[in-house]
Amino acid sequence: MKITREKNLSTPDILFSVARETGASLIYAGSSDAGVQAWDLDAEKPVRQDFAEKRHTSYVTGVFARPGQLISGAYDGTLCWWDLNAKTVQRSISAHSKWIRRIALSPDRSLVASVADDMVGKLWNAETGELVRTFEGHAQQTPHHYPSMLYATAWSPDGQYLATVDKTGIILVWQVATGELARKLEAPVMYTWDPRARRHSIGGIRSVCFSPDGKLLVVGGMGKVGNIDHLEGHARVEIFDWQQETRLHEIESTKFKGLVEKIEFHPHDNWCLAVGGDHKGFLMGINTATGELFLEEGHDTHIHDFLLDHERQQLITGGHNRLSTWSWSS
Amino acid sequence: MNHGFEKRMSRRALLQSTATAGILASDMTLLDVLQQRLLAEEVRQQSKRVILLWLAGGASQLETWDPKPGRPTGGPFRAISTSVPGIHISELLPRMAQRLGDTAIIRSLNTKVADHGTGATIMTTGRVPEPGIDFPDLGATVAHELGRVDSKVPHYVSMYTATEGRRKGGPGFLGSRVGPMFLTDSLMPANLQRPEIITEIDHQDRAQLRGFLAAEFAKRHASPAVNSHNSAYDRVRGLMSSESLFDVSREPQALRDKYGPTQFGEQCLVARRLVEAGVPFVKVARAWWDSHGQNFETHQELCADLDHVMSALLDDLAERGLLEQTLVVTLSEFGRTPQINGSLGRDHFASAWSCTLSGCGIRGGSVYGKTDEDGRKVIEDEIWAGHLFATIFRAIGIDWKKEYMYGARPVPITDFHCAPIDEVLA
Repeated sequence: MKITREKNLSTPDILFSVARETGASLIYAGSSDAGVQAWDLDAEKPVRQDFAEKRHTSYVTGVFARPGQLISGAYDGTLCWWDLNAKTVQRSISAHSKWIRRIALSPDRSLVASVADDMVGKLWNAETGELVRTFEGHAQQTPHHYPSMLYATAWSPDGQYLATVDKTGIILVWQVATGELARKLEAPVMYTWDPRARRHSIGGIRSVCFSPDGKLLVVGGMGKVGNIDHLEGHARVEIFDWQQETRLHEIESTKFKGLVEKIEFHPHDNWCLAVGGDHKGFLMGINTATGELFLEEGHDTHIHDFLLDHERQQLITGGHNRLSTWSWSS
Repeated sequence: MNHGFEKRMSRRALLQSTATAGILASDMTLLDVLQQRLLAEEVRQQSKRVILLWLAGGASQLETWDPKPGRPTGGPFRAISTSVPGIHISELLPRMAQRLGDTAIIRSLNTKVADHGTGATIMTTGRVPEPGIDFPDLGATVAHELGRVDSKVPHYVSMYTATEGRRKGGPGFLGSRVGPMFLTDSLMPANLQRPEIITEIDHQDRAQLRGFLAAEFAKRHASPAVNSHNSAYDRVRGLMSSESLFDVSREPQALRDKYGPTQFGEQCLVARRLVEAGVPFVKVARAWWDSHGQNFETHQELCADLDHVMSALLDDLAERGLLEQTLVVTLSEFGRTPQINGSLGRDHFASAWSCTLSGCGIRGGSVYGKTDEDGRKVIEDEIWAGHLFATIFRAIGIDWKKEYMYGARPVPITDFHCAPIDEVLA
């Protein structure tokens, strides 16, 4: 597989999340300026258009587009529903008491999952904004008595399970219908506690996704870190047969260091794309059947999120001061 | 017991007491000696203590005392109101926000040097290092000024258990007597316990015999060297008897819970025990704030520790009536860049950063200095390390204009052209 960067747009902000309505040309990005912005990537010279209304008060870390509507989540703990035509907020909910790290739409787009540093996963009715269910099972504190963090969440393709992952390397898989815990897995290598030199921690599982057949669960972060002042652990992915509670592959890049911030499967194939970075960024293609890293592509800044547009054979990445488009060919 | 010893012990009790007036009233002999102005000043000074919370590696001013919410440099945290109307600090310090009545914030340090080694030297000695002269650090200077020759407790205790950035610091030209007791591996000083093969009676007998022989020798060979030799033995015995000061298990569990389960919490509880027993200077280093990557996550951990422990320490000191006599300082070698780097980190930055002073001699609830809206530079009341040191000296009753003699060279205790910041002094 070959990947080629086509556009590399600069912005003074940090883009934590990107979304697009199916088939549309506009990209929506959640930003460090507490706002949501739109970019028309089909334009010859795409220009950033800020939503005039600013309802969030901190970094916007999750955006998802539905027809005519955008849902955003932010470090301020709120979820907002936006009218994409008027670019105004239809509904705002105080959803969590701490930072919302990620949101995820269910496969049928009827539910929104949110995870936050209050260590609670929540399900919301995507139409009404009503709270449907909560998932509580992650420890509030790390084993060393510091606040833990709940970084990411993902839906199984059939919408029956939700995975949530935390700082200390705990993966919990929940039954959506009942709220009961289905499986508990661990990826402890992704959490580094330095008891001697620096006496704090770094890392955590930053990304998670299910395979298209629902059998595999893939998580991303970075490997053990020597000097925790920097993101100097090797980019790391672990692949589980989650129902059998078996780790199938442990993959660490020898080329790239830093956090794997987002992972997503190709919808019809047995490979996934993982992105992230340290000061700079990377994109990695992983064959999940063999555990082979078949693609390692660098980027000039850290990547926080991406979306794959299979109709357009286009990849869009958002990250530190950059919004970029890429094409790929097998 | 001879009269001299009795008198010395009474004076020691006086100096260690926080209720000086009551003791004075009951001892007319001491009232007489206190009529001597210099001794009265000594008493006043010697009841003062300093606890330095050294935030090693460089804490971010933006995530602590000088937040810039809503600005591109501000990061994701909110600013919260405090117990002092009009003053806001980072939401990462909610407990301290409710205790600002005893604390002054200085937001205008410009110390220029942003490397760990030189930055730490500047911020622990109050001046730029010079070749050919070894300046004492703050702890040694305070120990020299406030410590008593006949003290049975250490003058200067420094705790630094992390290995990154560990620097012992020291007495410089003031001499090893005021150097730190440096604890790196545990709360308890090494080799303080009496060897098990020696009984307590044997230990005392040996001391008495040594004391007798030393006294006989001193009669025939009186000299400063002989006196120093003997005082060293006295200090060692004093240190051995102060072993319990380092044992936090002697504190009620409820109080230990207030300080929390972290190592920093236990160390600060030891610090309180030490200053209560009369140790003039205790440094507790909390490493390591050098958050080039993941600054915000790092500060969520470290600020949680700082906020919990510092607020418990101030409460504990206040409840014991010690806060009026104890200055608590938070300080680093520098702050962190307003610019957020690609790893969501902040790098070294010494041009506009913050520290705090709490308790003894401080006008609580005050803020001194101002940075611009993005925190990139100081726009009001810029100060240098020397101003901070002069302020600390003044707060604890040390003559900040004093000069030491290093050979034939006079060395001012405060860096040249620096004076205390009156606005933060009570």
